[in-house]
Amino acid sequence: MLEIENLHAAVDGKEILKGLTLNVGAGEVHAIMGPNGSGKSTLSYVLAGRDGYEITGGSITYKGEDLTALSPDQRAAKGVFLAMQYPVEIPGVTTLTFLKTALNAQRRARGEKEVDAVGVLRLVREKAAAMKVSEEMLKRALNVGFSGGEKKRLEILQMSLFQPALAILDETDSGLDIDALKLVAEGVNALRSPDRAMLVITHYQRLLNYIAPDRVHVLSAGRIIKEGGKELAHELEAKGYEQIIKDAA
Amino acid sequence: MNALVLPNRRDEDWKYSDLRNAVDADAVVRAPTAVWLVAKAQGDLDIGDLPKPVPFGAHGAMAPVAVSLAKAGQFVRVPTGESATLELDLTEGGHGRAVIAVEDGASLTLVEKSSRSEFTNIAVEFFIGKNARLTHLRVVPHNDAVRVVDYAITVATGGIYRAHLSDFGSKLSRTELHISLEGDGAEAHLSGVSVLNGSHADVTTHVTHASGKTLSKQLFKYVAAGHARGVYQGKVTVAQGANGSDSRQTAKGLLLEDRAEIDLKPELEIFADDVKCAHGAAVGDLDAESLFYLKSRGIPENEARALLMRAFLGDAVEQIENEDQRNAVWQMVDAALEKVL
Repeated sequence: MLEIENLHAAVDGKEILKGLTLNVGAGEVHAIMGPNGSGKSTLSYVLAGRDGYEITGGSITYKGEDLTALSPDQRAAKGVFLAMQYPVEIPGVTTLTFLKTALNAQRRARGEKEVDAVGVLRLVREKAAAMKVSEEMLKRALNVGFSGGEKKRLEILQMSLFQPALAILDETDSGLDIDALKLVAEGVNALRSPDRAMLVITHYQRLLNYIAPDRVHVLSAGRIIKEGGKELAHELEAKGYEQIIKDAA
Repeated sequence: MNALVLPNRRDEDWKYSDLRNAVDADAVVRAPTAVWLVAKAQGDLDIGDLPKPVPFGAHGAMAPVAVSLAKAGQFVRVPTGESATLELDLTEGGHGRAVIAVEDGASLTLVEKSSRSEFTNIAVEFFIGKNARLTHLRVVPHNDAVRVVDYAITVATGGIYRAHLSDFGSKLSRTELHISLEGDGAEAHLSGVSVLNGSHADVTTHVTHASGKTLSKQLFKYVAAGHARGVYQGKVTVAQGANGSDSRQTAKGLLLEDRAEIDLKPELEIFADDVKCAHGAAVGDLDAESLFYLKSRGIPENEARALLMRAFLGDAVEQIENEDQRNAVWQMVDAALEKVL
């Protein structure tokens, strides 16, 4: 599904990713763990196609296609979804209007029929109940006045609404209390499927107690320095990044 | 009138709207008398010619020119306690006069459509009586005209003036509102949006809180592209003794290109005690982070930009209470936004 080969990427002329290689197959959940500044967020933004993140070498292939040739909205329409670490507040755009606009933009790009207002509301309500997103939240401006947990729940609601083929979760656990963390993890687990790949990016092992990964990769200074099964996450938690990075060197 | 010197950039008030540069003084002197059309009138109304002598309130520099050169004008009166709806249009440009009196306890909804392509210079007086209400909508589509309109508005005790002014720009478009809140509890609510693609729109207001417990609220939003210039100059004076008054002014601009310009100048003058006054002005670009967020959800660049600009203008358009009128303004906003994407 996703093949990243010797990827180099720079922000403001400074190289952050320095030869990252990663393969995620359909049906698999991979975790990327790393200390602050290792390039975790840069990787997620590069995959989503954010301006200012310049690819200076290597390749990203998604479903056999060069992902870097696509604009962010084209990537979304083709099934790439990034749950952001800091979802943006947009005053003046209600959450429901945003969801309808986004869903129909993706459908239009895929040549599918648009869903009318009633249809969108029915779909959203069904997903919202599972993520404990209230009707009142849907009527409010997007993310405005939402708590950290509410914002993350809305990200997962979007993921379940858009049904992406490749979901990237960037530090979805940050700022969540244990109840919210469980709720978010349940939402993610409900979306695990043989034709969907997931990349869970996190600093802490905590989230991986609830979302069991097939593979764990340790990112340090822009490269994967160690890989393993889910037991690697426990090892990291026990030893700390410093020791693992030293061992790998 | 041969020596008529039009207001220009050397005048503090006209710094951002150089009329002398936009129109020839001779052409202004030669301009005919504007012709009003009552497009629609419902309810109990007196419609006729201007009374003599014609009242003349506090105005800006061009109103005296309109008064001296306009040979006729429009008079409208809503008698005490009555309510009415009026649509006014101009069938010919030039210098124009209008006086509208909404008597005690009366209410009027006034819709002004003014889209002449020739020079217009209009001076208007509004008299809003005790507990009377005037709801005023003025929406001017884009054209290449030079247009000036100047309102002098007095609001008596408990009266409410509510105005929405949407201006899609012209060669030079100047709207002046001189409002005096003369009785306790009088209110003025002003809002407006301008989406400008290479054109000019200027709203200049002066609200005087002459009496206590008066309220004024202003909310103006500008989007400017190309060589556009959007101007908001808002002065609020709270007079001595006008204690307990409340004034809020917000003006914001979105600059889509470097060659566009938005000038926002809120001003406060307070001579009273125990007043609440707040003003804010800010000019910026579309937020890159918001734009990326929307695009990452599958919304194409132009649609995302339009969505953000609509959101930016939204609270000002939503000040229009009447749904049909509000939807009509939204349609014009959407059409104008499409051209600046």
